[in-house]
Amino acid sequence: MNDFRQPVEQAKSHCLYWIFQFGGWGLFTLARISGAVTVTGLPWVHATLELLLLNGAGLGLSHWLRHFIRREHWSALDARKLIWRVIAAGFVLGTPLGILTWFTDIASLQDPGPLLQAYSPALRLQIAPAAGIALEIVNTAFVFILWQAIYFGALRVREHRSAQLKQSELARALQSAELRLLKSQLNPHFLFNALNTVRSLIADDPVRAQGAVTRLSNTLRYTLRSRQDELVTLSQELEIVSDYLELESMRFEDRLKVESNVASDAGSVRIPVMLVQTVVENAIKHGIADLPSGGLLRVSAQLKDGMLLLDVENPRAATPSRSAHEGVGLRNARERLKLLFGDRASLDLDLSKPAMATARLRIPQQR
Amino acid sequence: MKAMIIDDEPPARRELRRLLADFSWIQIVGEAGNVSQAANMVESLSPQLLFLDIQMPGGSGFDLLARLEHLPQVIFTTAHDEHAVRAFEVNALDYLLKPIDPARLAAALARVKNAAAAGVLQPGAVLEQLFVRDGPQCWFVPLREVSLLTSEGNYVRLSWGNAHPLLGRALATLEPRLDPARFFRANRRQIINLDFVESVELGVSGRLHAQLRDGPEVEISRRQTRLFKLQRGI
Repeated sequence: MNDFRQPVEQAKSHCLYWIFQFGGWGLFTLARISGAVTVTGLPWVHATLELLLLNGAGLGLSHWLRHFIRREHWSALDARKLIWRVIAAGFVLGTPLGILTWFTDIASLQDPGPLLQAYSPALRLQIAPAAGIALEIVNTAFVFILWQAIYFGALRVREHRSAQLKQSELARALQSAELRLLKSQLNPHFLFNALNTVRSLIADDPVRAQGAVTRLSNTLRYTLRSRQDELVTLSQELEIVSDYLELESMRFEDRLKVESNVASDAGSVRIPVMLVQTVVENAIKHGIADLPSGGLLRVSAQLKDGMLLLDVENPRAATPSRSAHEGVGLRNARERLKLLFGDRASLDLDLSKPAMATARLRIPQQR
Repeated sequence: MKAMIIDDEPPARRELRRLLADFSWIQIVGEAGNVSQAANMVESLSPQLLFLDIQMPGGSGFDLLARLEHLPQVIFTTAHDEHAVRAFEVNALDYLLKPIDPARLAAALARVKNAAAAGVLQPGAVLEQLFVRDGPQCWFVPLREVSLLTSEGNYVRLSWGNAHPLLGRALATLEPRLDPARFFRANRRQIINLDFVESVELGVSGRLHAQLRDGPEVEISRRQTRLFKLQRGI
């Protein structure tokens, strides 16, 4: 849950707590007053005064109990451990309040008489006060146990609700992260330019136009189904890269030339999906597309000591007219590499040669 | 009407040419694939209308406009940079998104026709509008709305409503191309738009002070004061 929402939630639950406290004890007081007046015939002013005193003390004690429960983190306990504590707390608080109740006129509400029928009248008289006190204690303890049952019940409901809220918020966050990834991969500039090329080819060269639609579909399908942590083989990835490059050379015509040199044993190395694609896209966007006469894009890959070495080399403008060479795409690619391989993989952009850029990708071969 | 297509992608140029074939009054006089080629062709062919892509090698469409001496009307064509065009304080005629919708193209050309009928597109020796790029912002500035041009070294500061964009040219190169019926050289550093002059007062030194509407008071130098009086018959 967001931090800024915490105080509001707390204030709300605090308010609810006092409504429950006063409501509960208030109703209990009213019920006992009417009981005392009708059953024992006590004057109602007398009964009201005594019960306000007793239940006021009860409210005070239960509030102190809540403080204690929170300090001792009882809500984190499992049910079995909690039940014994709840009963014990009920009797610890119920005993003094029960004894106090016995001394009031309210006590006659709890006449132990019927319980003692089995004993002789003499004995009955002897144990009557003790039985009376015991009955008051049990009764009052029961009130505190009931209080705790309601308290923990309410707590559970609240926890459940906030867990549900968290769950849906998490789902939303995941969804938006997924969407951001998708948006960053679906390069709209490429997409609409490719569609424009297709529109032009439909008149110029229908057969090539058909091929372009197929390649564009392949590229889009691959982009749409890939997930951040997915691994594919290099040859799978290079198939899509070649579709992409084919589309771009239709667009740029003779400005884009491609040379690819991939060792056969490198094709089976597993790499993060869309990684080489991102590097190649970067080379076109910040290299070839920036040059009026275009240039040669070179992709080479080999396996050396269990490490995939993949280089993408392209000419670049001496003075870049657009943004800096290190795009968002490359930065994302590097972050993904770090997440998946830690320090064992790397992606470097070498701009030391004038008018040339070389992206070097190093990925360990998985077993 | 003479028009030029400027786009770095040959298929895109072919496609637009095909779409424009339906409009016989548009005559495509040339095509260019990058900014420097385009700049030369625009100067030599003087088209009245440009179809201009934004992202191109060796500079953007905006870079081209900033380089041009004679500014034709412009329709931007772009695959994805419509936000860049919209961010303009535009009075570019229109922008078209690629792939171009033929109906949108027809609507854009209708606007061109209307502008031509209103006489906006009359090519002449007199400069009607300027393309100004100042930092991230770009404007097409109609000169009749500019109240004051102030020289700042090799640049000119335009007073245009509330905006004061800086133009990357010297005042001296701009002056001969301004409409002499509208613009008057007040002093070494400033040219005023006479349409904006609210009142003229004679100062103690014998120089005139012109008060510009919603603008500052501009002092007219001694030599120009004489000329001003002569022209105005004061």
